[in-house]
Amino acid sequence: MFTLAFEIVPIASLITLNMLAVAMLIAMVRLLRGPSLADRVVALDLIAALAVGVITVYSIYTNQTMLLRAGIVVALVVFVGTVAFAMYLEKRAKP
Amino acid sequence: MEEIINWTFQVVVVFLLLAGGIFSLIAGVGIFRMPDLFTRMQAAAKTGTLGVGMLLIALVVQFWEVGIFIRAALVILFLFLTAPIAAHLIARAGYISGERLWRKSVCDEMKGQYDQVTHALSSGKWKQDDP
Amino acid sequence: MKMFVANLLLAVVWSLMSERGTMFQLGVGFVFGYILLWYLQPLIGHSGYFTKVLQIARFLIFFIKELIVANLRVAWHVITPASFFKPGIIAVPLEEMSDLEATLLANVLTLTPGSFSVDLSTDRRVLYVHVMDVDDPDKVRREIKEQYEKQLLEVMR
Repeated sequence: MFTLAFEIVPIASLITLNMLAVAMLIAMVRLLRGPSLADRVVALDLIAALAVGVITVYSIYTNQTMLLRAGIVVALVVFVGTVAFAMYLEKRAKP
Repeated sequence: MEEIINWTFQVVVVFLLLAGGIFSLIAGVGIFRMPDLFTRMQAAAKTGTLGVGMLLIALVVQFWEVGIFIRAALVILFLFLTAPIAAHLIARAGYISGERLWRKSVCDEMKGQYDQVTHALSSGKWKQDDP
Repeated sequence: MKMFVANLLLAVVWSLMSERGTMFQLGVGFVFGYILLWYLQPLIGHSGYFTKVLQIARFLIFFIKELIVANLRVAWHVITPASFFKPGIIAVPLEEMSDLEATLLANVLTLTPGSFSVDLSTDRRVLYVHVMDVDDPDKVRREIKEQYEKQLLEVMR
């Protein structure tokens, strides 16, 4: 009695993928425009987090759990990158 | 019975997906239209983390396997531990490299507390005199 | 710690006994194992483990609730015009605490409503926090100390 005429999960994941793409585009504007380097780093960090989200939703959409490993790697590498950027910013500020 | 459970799971997945997407969108818009570095980071650190976390929980509910659960839990734990630390590091570096607060900010109790050369941060009026 | 291992072992045994749906059964097994150990307390000796688990569970529920409230508030700030909020950096004096506790407190503050930890002073007496809505600095300071610091230290010790 509860069978649906169509699958709702793929449709929802498509909608979510579009939302994530729009969010990435907006963050990209901040990355290009950002008045200071710190703003750009924040935008880059957010874009990376959204990339993990895109990988997750895409693996729901295609039923491919292999992709989640790529997500783990992206999350790990981006943290190191952000820390390196922060250290560079601080070093550069030394008089 | 089987069908009802299946249907409930699908509804939960759809809800988590849409909520995660909306929060990610808010993170994007927030980083675009907040006035200074610190308010921007508030928007990005909070909503970005929760949005991606919700998407990962949706993944767990969708596949419902132990292996997936462990991997997703790993990513969630990692995100929740590192996103605030990364944000804190950038905020500190930004403040030292001369990023100022928004002109309508109410107060700044951190002003002048950084040592210009060593970047040591003093604790202001809570400083104790003993060495 | 010994209690935690015993509880986890009971959960694994429960999930092996049950027929399918391993993940859900693992959680059910953990709850049943907890109740079983609770009733066995007079036999195996008293342990601080039981209150600790309840405290951690309560803190996690509190944290998740605060996280969702924080996100809704950020959403509100993003939608309304920027002139509505009054940000500022506030110094919060801290109790004596270890590195791990200070890190966790800073993380929790970053993820909860309206506050964002910027830096810890070098002598670790003061945490500088960026707050979205500052009406009265002393009130914000008291709120942070009473709500988050006290609860976190209760769980960690």
